[in-house]
Amino acid sequence: MIQTFLFYCYAALAVIGAIGLVRAHKLLHSVAWTLLALSAVAGLYFSLGSEFLGAMQLFVYGGAVTILTLFVVMLTRQGAQEQEKEDSSASAPASARVPVKRLAALVISLVLFCVLTIVFVSTPWETVVPSPQTSASLAEILFSRYMLPFEIVGLALTIALIGAIVLAREDDPGDSADATDGVAGTDDGGTADGTVAADTDDDPGDAAEEGNAL
Amino acid sequence: MITLNHYLVLAAVLFCIGLYGVLTARGALKIIICVELILNAINLNLAAFSVFVAPNEAVGASFVVFLIVMAAAEIGLALALIILLNRKSNISAVDSIRRLKG
Repeated sequence: MIQTFLFYCYAALAVIGAIGLVRAHKLLHSVAWTLLALSAVAGLYFSLGSEFLGAMQLFVYGGAVTILTLFVVMLTRQGAQEQEKEDSSASAPASARVPVKRLAALVISLVLFCVLTIVFVSTPWETVVPSPQTSASLAEILFSRYMLPFEIVGLALTIALIGAIVLAREDDPGDSADATDGVAGTDDGGTADGTVAADTDDDPGDAAEEGNAL
Repeated sequence: MITLNHYLVLAAVLFCIGLYGVLTARGALKIIICVELILNAINLNLAAFSVFVAPNEAVGASFVVFLIVMAAAEIGLALALIILLNRKSNISAVDSIRRLKG
């Protein structure tokens, strides 16, 4: 009985968070709604009985991913606002196209949802009596049968995060002459320097943080 | 009594909301967030199948672990790309990115 109640609570929170995420106008609000939705999904993992997955969801999504996204929102917000202003003031045909696009997206999503629900309900799943999976059984299968994929996934994460650091890094002092030549036409040199300095502080720390969380 | 279908339908709801967000959002960052929502719906599906269909071996749960790790790698790369685009050309809406070379 209490399980049913908890499931519906978590489900309502997740759906509310998801809708708020999509409908929010400011990116910061969007990230806050994301935190609600992803935490509710962690609660759903707990109510399924897989406590390790719930804890990992809270660590990775509630902690690392949300903080990282917040940093990027704050680093890029100025450009985003300018872009929004430009778009809203400029082209009339683009703004006339937006409701059509929204309507089409809504129809696609609803049709997909109906199809998925019909398939789910009409398929006779061979369910057994659910028994919660302990962390021990997950660790057992993760470190025996899926040992190699586990290592490969860790390697892939390392490579991706090193790639992220390389992509977002400030240019080398040796290359800076070329770089400033390349962007000499733009006048925002001062602000660009500020964001670049903040951003190199940010990335290695987050990489280390995600490595610890995983 | 909560059955498998409850979880599946909930995951379908989350997936479709995320899909709507991906189709309508213009900012690159919002698209990334909506993709995260979609991946979470998939993870929820896998975890529910793992508990309700084959609870003796935690195969589905281990897939969820792999998916969470790959999603973390994906969001790290995507955010780095957004920072790079923003620094180079001060662009955040994906449909105004026209030049991909150099």
